[in-house]
This record gives sequence, C-alpha cells and structure tokens, in this order.
Amino acid sequence: MSGPREAIFPTRMALTNTKLRLKGAQTGHSLLAKKRDALTTRFRAILRKVDDAKRKMGRVMQLASFSLAEVTYATGDISYLVQEQAKTASFRVKAAQENVSGVVLPTFEVDRVPGSDFNLTGLGRGGQQVIKAKEVYAKALETLVELASLQTAFMILDEVIRATNRRVNAIEHVVIPRLENTIKFIISELDEMDREEFYRLKKVQGKKKRDADAAEALKKKLALESGEPAPAPIMEQVDEGPGDLLATKDQDVIF
Amino acid sequence: MEGLFFNVSAGFLEGVLRGYKAGILTQTQYTTLTQCDTLEDFRMQLSATDYGNFLANEPLPISTSTISEKATQLMVDQFQYIRSNAVAPLDKFLDYMTYAYMIDNVILLITGTLHERDTHELLERCHPLGVFDTMPALCVATNVEELFQSVLVETPLAPYFRECLSASDLDDLNIEIIRNTLYKAYLEDFDQFIQTEIGGPTYENMHRILAFEADRRTINITINSFGTELSKEQRARLFPTIGNLYPAGNNLLARADEIDQVRAVCEYVSEYRHFFDVAASSNQGGNRAGGAGTNGHTDDPTSAIAATLEDRFFATEVHLNKLTFLQQFQYSVFFSYFKLKEHEIRSITWIAECIAQDARDRIQDFIPIF
Amino acid sequence: MAQSQEGRNLLAIIGDEDSITGVLLAGIGQVAHNQQKNFVIVDAKTQVSTIESAFNDFTARKDVAILLINQHIAEKIRPTVDKYHQTFPTILEIPSKDHPYDPSKDSILKRVQKLVGD
Repeated sequence: MSGPREAIFPTRMALTNTKLRLKGAQTGHSLLAKKRDALTTRFRAILRKVDDAKRKMGRVMQLASFSLAEVTYATGDISYLVQEQAKTASFRVKAAQENVSGVVLPTFEVDRVPGSDFNLTGLGRGGQQVIKAKEVYAKALETLVELASLQTAFMILDEVIRATNRRVNAIEHVVIPRLENTIKFIISELDEMDREEFYRLKKVQGKKKRDADAAEALKKKLALESGEPAPAPIMEQVDEGPGDLLATKDQDVIF
Repeated sequence: MEGLFFNVSAGFLEGVLRGYKAGILTQTQYTTLTQCDTLEDFRMQLSATDYGNFLANEPLPISTSTISEKATQLMVDQFQYIRSNAVAPLDKFLDYMTYAYMIDNVILLITGTLHERDTHELLERCHPLGVFDTMPALCVATNVEELFQSVLVETPLAPYFRECLSASDLDDLNIEIIRNTLYKAYLEDFDQFIQTEIGGPTYENMHRILAFEADRRTINITINSFGTELSKEQRARLFPTIGNLYPAGNNLLARADEIDQVRAVCEYVSEYRHFFDVAASSNQGGNRAGGAGTNGHTDDPTSAIAATLEDRFFATEVHLNKLTFLQQFQYSVFFSYFKLKEHEIRSITWIAECIAQDARDRIQDFIPIF
Repeated sequence: MAQSQEGRNLLAIIGDEDSITGVLLAGIGQVAHNQQKNFVIVDAKTQVSTIESAFNDFTARKDVAILLINQHIAEKIRPTVDKYHQTFPTILEIPSKDHPYDPSKDSILKRVQKLVGD
C-alpha cells in the first residue's frame, strides 16, 4: 500500500470504475506522447528555419541599407522628409492561421496597399534611387515578416510543447501510479473483506453444529427417558440439512 | 574690360580659390582611399590629403555621417572665408549660391511646421550653407499661414514664393512640388541675375552650367513622375525655362509617358544624346566617367536607364564645372569649386559607406574629379 | 492565443535614423491624428529610459503585430527584452547599418541555440 491513492471506498463498483480510468489514462498518455512527437518534429524544422532566416536577414538588411546609401549619394539626406511625410501605413501584415496537431499557429502575411506617401520624393533628382530603395526595403521587410511568423510559431510551439510534456509526465508519473495504487488497494481490501467473511461463516457454522449436537444429545437423553418419541429427532435433523448446504455453497462462491 | 579690374576686387579671392582647388582629391588619392579596409585606415589616408586632421577628434567608431558632416563643415568654412572677403558683385553672386540650400532648408522647416513639430530641432538639420539671419524666426511660426505671412516674406526667397505660390498652396500642395517650383524660380532668377549684373565670360560659363542643371531637373522630373499622381500640367509648370531643351523639348517632355519619349527628346541636343545611348546599350562598359552606373541587377529597363542616367548627369556636371577653371577673370570658378567640393564629399561618403558596409564591388561607382 | 492577434496589422520600429528611413520608405509608417507614431528614432543621445518606455508602449499597443528593434538598441535594454515573453507583438531584432548582426546576442536565437544544442 505504498504511494498516494485516491480517497475511495473499496467496492467492486469502484474497482471497475478505477480500472476504466486507468485504461483511459493509458490511452491519453500514448496520444499525448504522439502529439508531442509530432510537435517536436515540427519544432525542430522551425528551429532550423529560424536560425537560417536570422542569418539571412543580416545579409538582406545590409543590401537594404546599401540601397539607402545610394539614395543619399544621389539625393542627399531625405530621412527627415520621409519621417514627416509618413501618414498611413501602406505596408501592413495580415494574420493567417495554420494548424499543427491541434495547435493554432499564427502566420503573418504581407498586406501591401498601394500608397503614395513618398511618390514624389526625389522628384528633382534621385527619384529612381528612392524607388529602388523602396523596393529593396519592402523585400527586406517581407523577409522580416516571414521571420516574425517563424519566430511566433517558435514561441507558441515552445509553450505548447512544454505544456504537453508536462501533461505527459504528469500522466506517466502521477496519474497512472495513483490509479494503479488505488486498484491494488481496492483489491487487497476486497480480499481482506472476503477472508473476514469466510472466517465469520466458519464460526457461524461451528456454532450451529455445536448447538445441533447439544440439541441432539438433549433429545437422545429425553428419548431414553421417555423411550417413545424416537423418530422426532430425525425430523429435526432433516431441518438442519439446508443450513449445512448453505455453508458449503458459500464456500464455493468465495473461492 | 572687366578683366582689367577683376584683380582689384576679386584677384586675391580667385587666387585663394584656385589654391583650394588644388586640394581636390586626385585619382591616385581616390585609389588609395578605395583600398582601405576599415574606416580607421580611411581616416588615416584622408589626413594625408587636404582634409588634414578634420576627423582627429572624433570618437571611434566613426560613422559615415560624421565624415560627411565634418567634410561639409570644412567646405562651409572655406565658403564663409571667401564670402566675408567678397565685394560686389561677387558677394551677391555667392549669396545666390546659398539660395539653393536655403530652398531645401525652408522646405524642411515647412514640413516640420505642417506636422507641428518642434522647429528648433529642425534647425540643426538644416544645411549650414543655407542658413540665413531670419531662419530662427521661422521657428516662431506655429502654422503655415503665419509662416507665410510673417516669416517667409522676410527671407531672400520671398520673391520666389510670391511669384509662384500663395499661402493656401502651402497647405495642400505636395511639399516636393513646392520645392521644385521654388527651384525652378531660383534657377531662372540666378541666370537672369548673372546675365544682367555680371555678364561676360561669367555668364557664358554659368549659363552652360545652369542650363544643364535646368535640363537635368526637367528630365528627372519627367522620368520620376511616371506613374505618380503628378498631372502633366503640374509637371510642365515645374520645368525651368532656361535649359537647352527649352522650349520645344520641355513641351514634348511635359507630354511624355515613357522613357523612350524622353530619349527621343534628348536626341535633339547633341550633349545629351549619349546619355541614353550608352545607358541603353550597356550598363557596364563604355563609360567615360570610369565605372559609374553598374546597375546590372535591376530588371526594370526604366529604372536601369534612369539610374545610369543619374550617374551620367553627375559626370557631366563635374565635367562642365571643370571647364570653368580654364578661364580666368570670371566668377563662375567660385560656383564650380563649391559644386566640385560638394561632389567630392559625396564621393568620399560613398567610399566610406562602401567600406563600412563591405560592398567592395560597388566602391568604384563614384565619379572622380581629376 | 488566436484571438489576441485580431486587429494587429501594423509593424512598429525602434531604431536609428537610417533603419527607420528605410522601413518608412517601404511604407510601414502610421501616424495617428494625435501624432502617435509607430516608429521611434534612437540616436546616441537618447536616454535608456526613453527607449524602455517606447518598448513598453509598443508592446502594450493592440494594433502592433511585429516590433522591429535595432540590435544595438535592444542591447541597451537587454534585461527588458529578455524578460519579454508575450507572443504578441513579436519582437524582431534587426541589424543596423553601422552594427552588423550578431546572432549570439539575440534573445530569441539564444533560446534557439539552447534548444538545438541539447
């Protein structure tokens, strides 16, 4: 009777229920373990992608800032004008969802609306460089957005995998042992009860036998004294028969 | 005749200026600069040139913007020296040169005012050559109406504003249109000023440069306004009227819809013909300015041509400015020197940028002067 | 998780002037009527507390999906960035012109490498 068990009254009903629950827990465990494996596979893939994308980003951003250097070469410093002319975002993201083993992963998608905030920047000179820088930066941002979705997926998956792991471990190391303990407990309690019952019945039988013997002896004595009503005790004996039978039957049921 | 008296008033300054001009970086110095591995090296190589120790007190790491800022400061100092020693009509001529920077500064301030920004921080961003006395007063204005009524009329740019814009325009016109309108007015006025007040060889040289500048703006505006909301009438109003393309070319450009039409217009002017020839035939070679414009990876033909065009414009500008030094006793050298210097700073910044960003393959894409 | 991303469609950025100019050219800029912007310029003079409050503002905003931050700026408020564990908005450390990307400093990448390592 080691380890924790559930506070339950040891009955046959409870035994059946607990056995069912154990079965359920085992199925759940194997399902969760499968889910965890699926998620981990996915997670590993994303990890690699995040790693790659982060490194790629370095190069892409370098290209982008270089195109800005070209703009500066041709046009001069436009940063302040650009900052002041920004009004409405034409480069936005849209969230979509992807389902991996029941986990909803958000992915960002680039949502560009044609905007004209800086259309005329560099009109006098350098306009083409500005347009080019715009394109290069938009491309760089697309990479960044992609990376952001990967990173979000990474964070969510990380969390979900942790939760799943916790659950798998909890089932494996807490729920299942506890249910098993409960079952053991119920069985042993039931055995104990049976043994007690058997002993009690034995006792009852012995006592009845003793009483019957005593009664017989008394009757024999009375018969000897009267000498006449000899057959009556035989009738009594027949009545005792079922008691004996009952005892034997019980014994069979127990064992 | 004016050659006789030139040295009385401006001989000293011309001497100083030609001295400055000797300090412009040469091809050999550029080659040394492009071989630097770090900005640290770059600074050392620059200290061997006329720039001297201008970066000596800068904390490491040096950013490219610091280099460009310090170099500009050096140029501004030279300009101030010359300006403070100048007498009529050179002083007025030099003042006119600063108007171009003033336009940019004023535009900057207008943008800031439109967005209700603190205009004091804007002052730091203004080009030092374009600073004028009443500029801090611009910060007093809180809205555009006020800016126009009380402040802009006091600036040297006031005539340009008066002629082409009204207060209500400032509110709803795109800031770039305002900038280009002002610039057009400025170019025309500058040309007019030199013709009437100075004349002679100065005018010959300056007109060549200004006409080129005007055409360059006209072509650029045309190309850059393809596919934008700028209407053709608006476009036509931004074209300066002193260029070689004016008037027939300007009219055609105002109606142009694609780059081929621009090319056709430029065919009429022999100086501009080769811009498109070389740009269209190959992006790589045949490039007299030495390696400029290698935009090989751009797919869109318009932007490829236009990007090379930009380099070609720069090269031609440098060439025209160099020509003015062949003549003595005229003022256009002052203009040319500062244009060349400005260009040199741009090239230095470009090289520094390439070193900083490790873009070795593009490091040759600047335009050397000598 | 899925609900909190509704209505998040902006990118925000904390960065140096060049990075911001670039991404603004690409068109992420959004300025509300009350001059509330989705970008903050940080230069050498900017206080760390200013950066931190900008970071906290952006992460608290409901319409920001991705927050870009220059790595050298993230470095200044590294404890705050490391502490950040919300899913939205996603923090992305980006290189800047003068500071090339260093993967070993990235909060996320540190976790990635820890996980790949074991």
